[in-house]
Amino acid sequence: MTQDAIAADRSSVATGDVLYSIRDLSVEYGTRAGEVAAVDRVSLDIRKGEILGLVGESGCGKSTLGKAMMRMISPPGRITQGELWFAGEDLMTVSEAQMREIRGARLGMVFQDPMTSLNPLSKIVDHLTETITTHEPSVSEAAARDRAEQLIGRLGLRVERIDDYPHQFSGGMRQRIMIALALALRADLVIADEPTTALDVIVEAQFLDLLRELRAEFDLTIIMITHNIGVVAEVADRVAVMYAGRMAELGSVDEVFLDTKHPYGQGLLRAVPNIELDGSDLYQMEGAPPNLLHTPSGCPFHPRCPHVMPICSEREPAFAEVTPGHRASCWLFQEHDGEGER
Amino acid sequence: MTDHENLETPAPAQVADWELELQKVGFVRRVLRARKWYRADWWFVVISSLMVVGFLIIAIWPQWFAPHDPLEQVGPRLLSPGELPESEVLILPEDSPFGGIADFTRDERIPVAVMLDTPSSEAARDEAERVTDEIAASGGEGRIRLQIMRFESIEETLDAVVSGEATAAVASSKTFAAAAAGYPTLRNAGGVSSEAQDTTSFILGTNQVGQDVLSRLIWGARIAIIIGFSAAIASFVLGVPLGLIAGFAGGKLDRLMTLVMDSIYAFPGLILAIAITAVLGPSIVNIIVAIAVLYIPTYYRIVRGQTLSAKEELYVEAAKSLGARSRVILGRYIFPNVIPSVAVIFSVNVADAILTGAGLSFLGLGLPLDTPDWGIDLARGQEFIRSAWWLITFPGLAVMLIVLAFTMMGEGLVEIFNPKLRDR
Amino acid sequence: MVFGVPAALALLWVFIRGSEALRRYILTRIALTLPMVLILVSVVFFVLRVMPGDVVSSTLGPKASEEVRENIIESLGLDDPLIVQYFKFLGDVVTLDLGDSFIGARRPIVDELGERLPATLELIIPAAIVALGTGLLFGTFAAVRRKRTADYGLRLYSVIVYSMPIFWLGLLLRLVFSVWLGWTPIAGRIDVVANTTLERTTNLLTVDSIISGNWSALLSVLHHMILPTLTLGLVLSGVFIRLTRINVIETLQEDYVISARARGIRERVVTYSYALKNAMIPVVTVIGLQVAILLAGAVLTETVFNWPGMGRYLIQRISARDFQAVQSTVAVFAMFVALISLAVDVIYSVLDPRVKY
Ligand SMILES: Nc1ncnc2c1ncn2[C@@H]1O[C@H](COP(=O)(O)OP(=O)(O)O)[C@@H](O)[C@H]1O
Ligand SMILES: [Mg+2]
Repeated sequence: MTQDAIAADRSSVATGDVLYSIRDLSVEYGTRAGEVAAVDRVSLDIRKGEILGLVGESGCGKSTLGKAMMRMISPPGRITQGELWFAGEDLMTVSEAQMREIRGARLGMVFQDPMTSLNPLSKIVDHLTETITTHEPSVSEAAARDRAEQLIGRLGLRVERIDDYPHQFSGGMRQRIMIALALALRADLVIADEPTTALDVIVEAQFLDLLRELRAEFDLTIIMITHNIGVVAEVADRVAVMYAGRMAELGSVDEVFLDTKHPYGQGLLRAVPNIELDGSDLYQMEGAPPNLLHTPSGCPFHPRCPHVMPICSEREPAFAEVTPGHRASCWLFQEHDGEGER
Repeated sequence: MTDHENLETPAPAQVADWELELQKVGFVRRVLRARKWYRADWWFVVISSLMVVGFLIIAIWPQWFAPHDPLEQVGPRLLSPGELPESEVLILPEDSPFGGIADFTRDERIPVAVMLDTPSSEAARDEAERVTDEIAASGGEGRIRLQIMRFESIEETLDAVVSGEATAAVASSKTFAAAAAGYPTLRNAGGVSSEAQDTTSFILGTNQVGQDVLSRLIWGARIAIIIGFSAAIASFVLGVPLGLIAGFAGGKLDRLMTLVMDSIYAFPGLILAIAITAVLGPSIVNIIVAIAVLYIPTYYRIVRGQTLSAKEELYVEAAKSLGARSRVILGRYIFPNVIPSVAVIFSVNVADAILTGAGLSFLGLGLPLDTPDWGIDLARGQEFIRSAWWLITFPGLAVMLIVLAFTMMGEGLVEIFNPKLRDR
Repeated sequence: MVFGVPAALALLWVFIRGSEALRRYILTRIALTLPMVLILVSVVFFVLRVMPGDVVSSTLGPKASEEVRENIIESLGLDDPLIVQYFKFLGDVVTLDLGDSFIGARRPIVDELGERLPATLELIIPAAIVALGTGLLFGTFAAVRRKRTADYGLRLYSVIVYSMPIFWLGLLLRLVFSVWLGWTPIAGRIDVVANTTLERTTNLLTVDSIISGNWSALLSVLHHMILPTLTLGLVLSGVFIRLTRINVIETLQEDYVISARARGIRERVVTYSYALKNAMIPVVTVIGLQVAILLAGAVLTETVFNWPGMGRYLIQRISARDFQAVQSTVAVFAMFVALISLAVDVIYSVLDPRVKY
């Protein structure tokens, strides 16, 4: 890809061609104790060509949101409301057969655990050719194999190893294979759910480099789900912070990291181990993660919030722009009548 | 048959505390909402529990339910379910003035047609004599006299009546029913004898020696339950302590015992039981011993496994450091943990033991020959497969139902004790 | 003696075709099987001896004279110390010198068993195929339809067939198909007529009739096989349905299944090629245990259908009070179980690329 193209890419991010738009999405899981609101009225635009980092504590609904984008929520979960606009179509309205064609071909997903995400009984090449021929039935087995070899080579694996079984590869290699699978049909959008959590630091860095290269080369849009702020800071263009199934903050990496608005985001950043900081006074956020069975009233973060105001427990703040392109759902930045700040 | 191996609860993954609470639902709530959670399984449990209770009641008080003595000959042989016993009937032309032998003109020899070599003539004579005696007793005059005419076949017999050669015919109800279609002018005037006669039918028929199948079935429940429970209790009483000891002690003893138990477990149980009863000789106690041996390993394995994992757990460590003695640790900490899984196995083992017991007595290895036992009844009934389907149908059905009841109850218990299986 | 022919053949094939590592694995595995055989055989011996029954009177009946008793005790070596008897018995088993049958022509027990083993094999192998086939098919189906009517129906079916006494199912099938409908023969392995024309070499009648090209005999053999194999197969199918169902349900939740769906792989492929294939591995591992049920069921099935296999031999010898033959037959059953569990392990290692030899 030329410098120009990269520049064009950047500009499309800036101008914000929206590739995938989530509107007011809610997902619930039916459990014995009641309904768990894992994703609660989330709206989010993913711009073409960007890497969007989606962060939040474990259990806040990130994976659920990712799966919902693929329309892959299975019982006991269900999407209770919302629209998923992708390439001019609301995915909530397409048939299951059409959806299956979109999955893999135009939307790809990479899961957290590379050790368990590949079929232990199939060779790597079979994974790839199967994916290719499923979506492009006209491609011959041999041609599919050629493409698979190219991809594997591009991702930095030895081509001879294509006939090996998954258990013969290391975690980092398998995660590359997972990416290869997502790229086999040149998906427009790849949702990577904690792709590096299971990898060690060095492999993680290599993997992230690769991801950035591929983004440019394959014209990819990537949603990077993680609870690792460091990863986001390294690769993402924009960051979305989730809390208790809701959007807390959204903005460019610089905006969110240097000018954090939401108190939860601030806490999250202070909890990141920092080399310059003395390890001993690492900040630990107070309170327990929210109970999604009984999400706190008003702003769900108010029981843990250092800046809590009376209104916070009464009414839910809107997910509104604080500065252009930078949104936060917090009463600190929104007009409200009377109660006043402390 | 249950997934014994899956009974251990998994170590919780990294989940928030409140998420763990999702699985920890109070007992009351569990019972109240069980129907919704377990859906069809709830019905399985309810129906099977009712069946188990029913079988237990029948087994404890068979005499309340059994209409007859299971060892007595109470009817004709091989009577099919609901069939009336054969009786001798009087056959008259439609226009006959008589209604029965008692109406026959007195002191006149009335020709009566019967078939050769049947009890019909005797029945007719007996009735004539009885009526005559009655007349005499009431101070009347005259006697009933019959002229018996014998024929080769039922057709000839009936033809004689149609042609007027005979005034009436006597034949067995079954024989007449088979031929009646060809003789529209003849009617069945009812039993020859005006005395009340044995007309009881048997709901499930009678067997080859005239015993009531139903009564034997009902008394068979007692044998089945005795075998099932005694064997399961015996293997429980041996298997649980062995498992506890092996799991707790560990080391060489554990390895040796596990090796032996695994071998018994892997071996076809029925064959071992066959060999044991062959040596011990037929008796109910021997059957129970043979079956109990087979099921010791099931308890042993699960209890040992659970003991091992319970041992790891902190509270046992704590108890140990406080100086608790092994026996106390076993009894107070480990044993209660093992109870739920053992309850499930127990229920399933009762079912398996009944099945194995039935197999042994079917093979003629278990019990004295005339015992009212389902396996024995099936074995004895199979000779009559061509003529008496009911002999091989009902005892097997009874075995199936009782085994089904205990198995399904065990399955239901798994679902309730181990909701994890459900949520997967 | 034709011992475990197919299992041995399969082993041999794998052995010859397999890699060097696989070959070494098989050898180690055989070495590990020996202790298992030893334990099973010992368990048989001690269970039979420790039991308080009196072998001699159950052999002879209570009325035998003192002289005959002593004769028997001596000839069976029952007056030796238990430990001596034990090692003698082990020696006999190892050398397959199981003594002579106590009744009839007093032929060596090994020979008598050798004739009956093929009949048992010809019963249990097709039955296992029936059970495994229906189990995999319907078990997967139930897993896919989890918590729907078909699932509950199949679960009910599997509990019901599991609860059926196998001899009862045999009798019922025979009542309906042989007595009422007249479609199948009542009992036995082959017609009298076909029997006289069939040349026996392996005693596996299907194999014999095929190699001798005797098609009418083959037809008769197959005709006789239908009911016994169905009986045994159906009773076992319940267990396999359950096993398959639970394992397919489990594999359907695996990450690789979810990520296959995320690649748009067809649901049918996901179910059968991903979930079922992976689920088969744990199913195969427990086949070893199912073999026990299979053999126990075979004893009863053989009795119901007058099938001249090892199970019926065992029962006949028990009624004839031929204790030596009983003990030997049970020991042979034990070796059979061990052999099959060996074969299962080898199949497992071939199925699953992850197994490191
Ligand atoms: N299959 C499920 N059944 C019930 N609850 C679920 C299920 N999957 C997820 N949840 C709930 O949804 C919430 C969000 O889960 P998830 O999306 O996996 O969070 P994250 O990826 O941010 O860690 C969790 O609190 C969890 O309890
Ligand atoms: Mg997650």
